[in-house]
Amino acid sequence: MINTILCALGLSYAGMASLSLAMDRHHGQVWGRDAAPNVRRALQLAGAILLALAIWPCVAGWSATVGVVAWLGFIGAGALLVALLLSYAPRLLLRSSLLAAVAALAGLVTFLR
Amino acid sequence: MNAVKVDKVVKTPQQGGLRQAMAWLHTWSGLWISWLLFAIFLTGTLAVFDDPIGHWMTPEHALEEAAHANDPPLPKVTDRAHRLELALDFMAKEHPQADMWEIWPVQRPGHGLSAYWFQPSGGYGSADLDPLTGAVIEHAREVTERETIGGHHFVDFHYELHTGRIGVWIVGITTMIMLVALVSGVITHKRIFKDFFTFRPAKGQRSWLDAHNAVAVLTLPFQFMIAYTGLAFFSDDYVPAPVVAQYGMENPKRAFLADWNDAGKPARSGQPLAIPALESFAQRAEQAIGQEIRAVVLDNPNDASMRVCMYGWNEDTELLTRLSANSGRACYALATGEQVALRLPGESDTGGAGLTRSVMSNLHMVGFGGTPMRWLYFFCGLAGTAMMGTGAIMFMVKRRQKSGGEFGAYTQRVYRVIACLNVAAIAGLSIACVGFLWANRLIPVGLEHRAGWEVRAFFGVWFLMLVHACLRAEKRAWIEQLGLLAALCLLLPALNLLSTGDNLVAQVARGDWESAGVELCSMAFGLLAAWGAWKVHKRKEKPLKKTAARENAAPAASLQVNTEGQS
Repeated sequence: MINTILCALGLSYAGMASLSLAMDRHHGQVWGRDAAPNVRRALQLAGAILLALAIWPCVAGWSATVGVVAWLGFIGAGALLVALLLSYAPRLLLRSSLLAAVAALAGLVTFLR
Repeated sequence: MNAVKVDKVVKTPQQGGLRQAMAWLHTWSGLWISWLLFAIFLTGTLAVFDDPIGHWMTPEHALEEAAHANDPPLPKVTDRAHRLELALDFMAKEHPQADMWEIWPVQRPGHGLSAYWFQPSGGYGSADLDPLTGAVIEHAREVTERETIGGHHFVDFHYELHTGRIGVWIVGITTMIMLVALVSGVITHKRIFKDFFTFRPAKGQRSWLDAHNAVAVLTLPFQFMIAYTGLAFFSDDYVPAPVVAQYGMENPKRAFLADWNDAGKPARSGQPLAIPALESFAQRAEQAIGQEIRAVVLDNPNDASMRVCMYGWNEDTELLTRLSANSGRACYALATGEQVALRLPGESDTGGAGLTRSVMSNLHMVGFGGTPMRWLYFFCGLAGTAMMGTGAIMFMVKRRQKSGGEFGAYTQRVYRVIACLNVAAIAGLSIACVGFLWANRLIPVGLEHRAGWEVRAFFGVWFLMLVHACLRAEKRAWIEQLGLLAALCLLLPALNLLSTGDNLVAQVARGDWESAGVELCSMAFGLLAAWGAWKVHKRKEKPLKKTAARENAAPAASLQVNTEGQS
């Protein structure tokens, strides 16, 4: 169960971080300039894929019905985390979300069976 | 400057278009219910963990449980047939006239034997029986065991404010207004996607607005779901017309519930029939539903129309994967031995509508998904609580900088009342909640009607906080109440140590995470309250002159804030 939680939370957090970095205001907070159009699109795409992938551990760990409810909860939690980090530690957002994405994607392997 | 000011104050909702109208609706519908909603949300959030809180509040029981924690699990009951016989004998002797006999042959935890029936007066009667002899077990409450309603206090307050049906109605109307506030808030918040992740700390009114928006928007699906399912939960109370239309004016609710809970209950025939052994039916039912039998319900005992329904236990592992909390159920006509009804676990025997209702109530109460889901609900609930709190505070933060003059000559007095209510509803209620836990340890164990005194302590503390908030200046009231809240929360583990000798280290060591969780959460809330008290203490009152000057310089900008500001 702990695997499910970490995976879902990691993907939600990384996905929401990616979506936030696609916005000029938050892109500026981290890199000091607006996002180039293709970078923005890539970040949005990555964010959407990560959020969509977060359904997987939820459905595998619970069930199709309970998993979707859990997924909604996790993406809310991920978004709250991103909002907090952007306010208090924007530099930390990039590295931690990259780490979360890599770890959570690697963790997805355990749900392959 | 004057022109701008007048323009802003006089502008009516009709003049400003939809968004202005919604901002007005949001501010005023939101403000008047925010105090009650804060209370409903905070207690509802705590109610998510009513079991662990109840566990903490019955330390004698918790310690006894811990002493037996390493015992091997109880062996499975093998004499269920005998237990059923004993319970049937008891019912035949003591309550032969009851038309419903309910037997729980392997009552959990502890594998006891219980019987239930409807009293002639209408109430539910119950008796615990000795599983070996069938003798009634008299429960003399031990003097060392503290009488408490435990965490269920928060559940009761959450849905009925401890006032019965009137409370259910008040909570329902409040919830309806909350839905209005949610929709109008979404319409008002025009930069809902642009501001999705935005929280700008230490910027006064702007920060309060950001915080209010962030917690509301990020948990919006949850807030809608919890409000809507809360209403659906009591739909037959709130929307009685369909029930009356179907069942007539004479006791419609009772007829509805009888149909609802007891679909296909047979009518008495008047022909006598001996009760057969029920164990074989229990075994058949277990085969059919795939669950261990929890309750055996016998309708019309000793009549030819006799029917027995077997209900299963929901195992924790099943509820991880199911949104519906319905257990399995199989019914048999005893005259013929025929299976007359079958409900598999998670299904409903009242059709799609029944299943929807069961799922809705379970969604509201997190009866699924286990502990991780409870934590998700807890945090989303806290976000909702923060949404109410920040909304109420923002009204005053805004008017402290510039009065809207809404109440004419009474404006300052009404603002003062609102400020008092803010302190008492937010800090005061939180103190009452942790005060309830303090009362659990401080009220003498042997006291008559002790559970009632704990609840009275909760309301008493809350009332005292209201009085205090009215007597002190607003800023002082915030600092003092947040300080008191911090002290009570942080000292809760010390209180437990002094009153029961139990402590965090011991709780963790024996794996009692329910007790440890209550105390750790309490300390976390304590730190938060201390931080809040310190922030209020540090806050400098902005000189009004500066605000006025800025408004003068940029009237357009401040007007925009007003439109966005929802108040």
